[in-house]
Amino acid sequence: MRRASTAVAIGGLIVVAAAGCHRRSAIGAPSNDLLIVGYDREPDTLNRFSTHILEDIQTCVVEGLTTTDERMNVIPLLAVRVPTLENGDVRLRPDGGMDVTWTLRPGVKWHDGVPFTSADVKFTVEALNNPSYKPESTDGFDRISGVDTPDPLTAVVHYKEIYAPYDIQFIRGAFPKHILEGRDIDRAQDYNRNPLGTGPYRVAEWRAGEYILLERVPHYWMGDEYPRIRRLLFKFVANTNTRINQLKSGEVHVVALVPWDKYRELGGLPSVVVHKTPGNAYEHVTLNERQFPPFADVRVRRALVMALDRELYTKTILDGLAPVADGPIQPISWAYTNQVTRYSFDPVRARALLDEAGWHVGPGGIRQRDGRPLSFTLMTQAGYTIRENVAQAIERQLRDIGVDVRVELHDGTAISAIWFEGHFEAMLHWWQLPSDPELTTFFASDRIPPAGRNINYFQDAELTKLLYASDRTVDREARKQFLKRAEAILSEQVPEIPLYTVTRLDALPASLEHFRGNPTNTGIFWNVYEWNIK
Amino acid sequence: MLAFLGRRLLQSVPLLVVISILAFLLIHAAPGGPLAVYLSNPNVRPEDIARLSRALGLDRPLWAQYWSWLTAFAKGDWGYSFSDGRPVADWLADRLPATIELVGVALVGAITITFVTGILSAVRRGKPFDRVTGAVAVAGISLPAFWFGLLLQIVFSVGLGWLPSSGRTVVGGGDLVDHLQHLVMPATVLAVVQAASWSRYLRSSMIDALGRPYTMAARARGLPPHRVVLRHALRNAVSPLIALVMVDAALLASGAVVTESVFAWPGLGSLFTDSLARRDYSVLMALLMLSSVAIVVFNVLADVLHALVDPRVLLGLGSLGSSGDAA
Amino acid sequence: MTPSLKFLPLAVLASLLGAAIVAPLLAPYPPERLDLVHRREPPSTAHVLGTDDLGRDVFARTLAGARVSLAVGLLSACVAGVSGILIGGVAGYSGGVLDAVLMRATDAMLAIPRLPLLMIAGAILQPSISVLVVLIGLVCWMETARVVRAEFLTLRTQGFVENARAAGAGHARIIFAHLLPNAAQTVIVSMTLAVARGILIESALSFFGVGVRPPQASWGNMLYQAQAVLSTEPWLVLAPGLFILATTLSVNMAGERLAHARLE
Repeated sequence: MRRASTAVAIGGLIVVAAAGCHRRSAIGAPSNDLLIVGYDREPDTLNRFSTHILEDIQTCVVEGLTTTDERMNVIPLLAVRVPTLENGDVRLRPDGGMDVTWTLRPGVKWHDGVPFTSADVKFTVEALNNPSYKPESTDGFDRISGVDTPDPLTAVVHYKEIYAPYDIQFIRGAFPKHILEGRDIDRAQDYNRNPLGTGPYRVAEWRAGEYILLERVPHYWMGDEYPRIRRLLFKFVANTNTRINQLKSGEVHVVALVPWDKYRELGGLPSVVVHKTPGNAYEHVTLNERQFPPFADVRVRRALVMALDRELYTKTILDGLAPVADGPIQPISWAYTNQVTRYSFDPVRARALLDEAGWHVGPGGIRQRDGRPLSFTLMTQAGYTIRENVAQAIERQLRDIGVDVRVELHDGTAISAIWFEGHFEAMLHWWQLPSDPELTTFFASDRIPPAGRNINYFQDAELTKLLYASDRTVDREARKQFLKRAEAILSEQVPEIPLYTVTRLDALPASLEHFRGNPTNTGIFWNVYEWNIK
Repeated sequence: MLAFLGRRLLQSVPLLVVISILAFLLIHAAPGGPLAVYLSNPNVRPEDIARLSRALGLDRPLWAQYWSWLTAFAKGDWGYSFSDGRPVADWLADRLPATIELVGVALVGAITITFVTGILSAVRRGKPFDRVTGAVAVAGISLPAFWFGLLLQIVFSVGLGWLPSSGRTVVGGGDLVDHLQHLVMPATVLAVVQAASWSRYLRSSMIDALGRPYTMAARARGLPPHRVVLRHALRNAVSPLIALVMVDAALLASGAVVTESVFAWPGLGSLFTDSLARRDYSVLMALLMLSSVAIVVFNVLADVLHALVDPRVLLGLGSLGSSGDAA
Repeated sequence: MTPSLKFLPLAVLASLLGAAIVAPLLAPYPPERLDLVHRREPPSTAHVLGTDDLGRDVFARTLAGARVSLAVGLLSACVAGVSGILIGGVAGYSGGVLDAVLMRATDAMLAIPRLPLLMIAGAILQPSISVLVVLIGLVCWMETARVVRAEFLTLRTQGFVENARAAGAGHARIIFAHLLPNAAQTVIVSMTLAVARGILIESALSFFGVGVRPPQASWGNMLYQAQAVLSTEPWLVLAPGLFILATTLSVNMAGERLAHARLE
């Protein structure tokens, strides 16, 4: 009996050791044959219109008429050029509407060989406006009254009113009419799981729960030598730490959106380079004036801003990687201005402001006024270490000036529902802004939920006027002036506490060349066709 | 026997209905709905949300939603996932093999450990082997499974680099060895936690069996010791254990939620945590019902087995308890 | 077991309880005090167990976590115990339809996977510690109920009930004054195991972020935060986990001793 158990134990050890020695031979280094991307979740569908979240994989397969590059400029892709007033492709009609003419690139075919034509563009508009299809958003499409297709390479889109972001209207591409015409698109699982596109890759395999494998198409319209990488594998690894660990061990080669607190860990790896791209997103503390009336007093808001040592946060928690933000428009946007009010860390002045506003320190060190304590709940998303840490740092620093904060962590989906319904007092939140600097939905007085995303419930007539004026013209210089004044008002009134600008960190193999970061939702795969592994 | 079986199964139906109501109410008490995922996107407008809500039937009263879900469920239609419109059954079918694989291997391991340590410590009662395994077993019951998983990751992945820290296979499907490398840590966690309680159960029922007259009679007849132990004592000790294993096996599967999460194992457990984050009601309901059905079925089977061994059970003197929960 | 080792589990438990009670006095720093400049430091003279991701002292947080985890374990066991005694006692005493209904309800609760159910509840309700105690207690009473019921059935066959009835006692009196004391040992063992179970469940829930939430410290949520830095600061995983293990181990061993107390 004893000998048996000893034998089993020794045998077990041998097996484990052997297994250990066998490691690493199955996963190779990145090469032009296979590049493995560690992806943070499995997409629900690859239909670009059904869900706007996570389009990295789709970007490789389905191309838009235009796309946005690393400087957030709109550049043509399947269209020959971007329609503008200057080149005559955009015409303003006397009835207040506009016509946008898209000229398509000749010779582009869907992956099944059928030519890509303007009929597909027209079909897409009709499908999105069809009530039986449930896309994530019909924004913009619902302002299109019709599409004319005088020839297979020309589509004239008629808008009922002036729509400033018309140039990214078709950034998600088009549906293939010959595949989806007459069908229930939501249930068209053949398309939703394996969309037909014109891009450099197509879906080879989708193993549920594990990965999606893309392979290059034989004749990409940009040239037969593109794309250079034969296969792209998107491996689903939900847990951020696991993903980073797999990057370190070589099980994955690429990780997008590396959290800032992992930057240093990856810095020492010779095979990995972390690219920094200034982003078009920012984190802030939303102050819901409606739910918590003390926020309506601008002195209180200013005091809160000055109580927080934002420079310290970015230096420590964010490891110096994300600069302090002063407003919703980020430096990378063409509408950015730095002529804004800046509040520095000044707890003494903060306390003075609160005293002036009538909030005096009471028992327990918490300020109160008319018997009511200055105490509110700060919500943020669970599972994001950095955000949780920032929330806790905020809690401590506000307590130092006599404000009581209770931190609540919620799931990502619960967070969205909560701010949508407005049942929160303060929230540590972020917005990824669209490449077009349209701020109306965030700050106009009439755009409080459910009409928009003014979740601060902020009311300022002049600001609202400026924002709408910017939306209703396609003249960039005019828009710049409007937005400049809007930003000045926002920074002075601080309806929300801006924290920092999100810097995108993307980890890629050191041997990969032609990577160009991208701060928009388009993602880093926007130019994957030219990537090359030396 | 058939009447007993029929009665037990029939008794289970209202049970499952009650479970389903409870689960349904709980899930729908959430402040987020399945559409909450879209709300964070600035491009989605409130009209879109309303439209989606109507299309998915979410604006109907709660009892109406429950009723349509229940009637469909009973007919075998488990609905469509709220996130991608795929049939829920497809989601489950995709993830089920991974869980079966993990749980299966863990079960084999647990049963092996149980038998080896349970029998040996009963035979060597009071001796060092027994004391040590007893201590280890109590530790195993007291161990937080997720912490055990983390420790294994630290030692074998981060530290020694012998084993991959998570996932099921390397890209594109690896060979058998690679597969085993991914499987060994999560399966060990599950197996150890279960074996800890089972082996003690087996030990005490073996001790009991070894003290019985029939064992002593077998010894008196001059049979070799291992035959006495294995043929006679074990056969009697094992049937209540089998029933217990069946009851706990279902708990094992649902408790694997924790292990699958720590090791990113793509099975039903991680599907649960993903669906929870997305508030994907259809999938969550299906998962809860599936595991409850499994547990109920295993319970009934356990009772049947028990009845086969001890016919007094047929008189309705209650069913077996379980030995603990897998956490 | 040598005599000195016999009392080890109790000694460990006593010291943990003691430390938890006087935690505010023992802690070198307040457990919530941030020090952003000294984040993630390994153990040193200034910080015995190092600092966490926000520069908070790990030792202080471990002590604070002891308070929370022990409180949740003990209180949830009480909730579970009381519910279990009531349900199992009534079932075992009455028999018949009431027994059948209560036992089917017990089966129903046992058929629902505990942890997933609590995870959903935790995610939805964002429970405070008191609510958490109740929630955990509500899924842990079944074992106690079965045990109490079994004991009562045995006692019934031994004639306890008839005797007491003959002496003119009412139902409640019979249950609480006659049957329950005789079942006391098994009940206490069952509740002891429930304490360990409660601590493990709370740790698991906090580990998944649906139990006790930061900045409040609990061993489980310390592990949740430690998991994020597993590869660079692995020591952060050790302290909370070892404490959980030590506590549940001692509780389980104490329960074992109690179970075998009169049988040896």
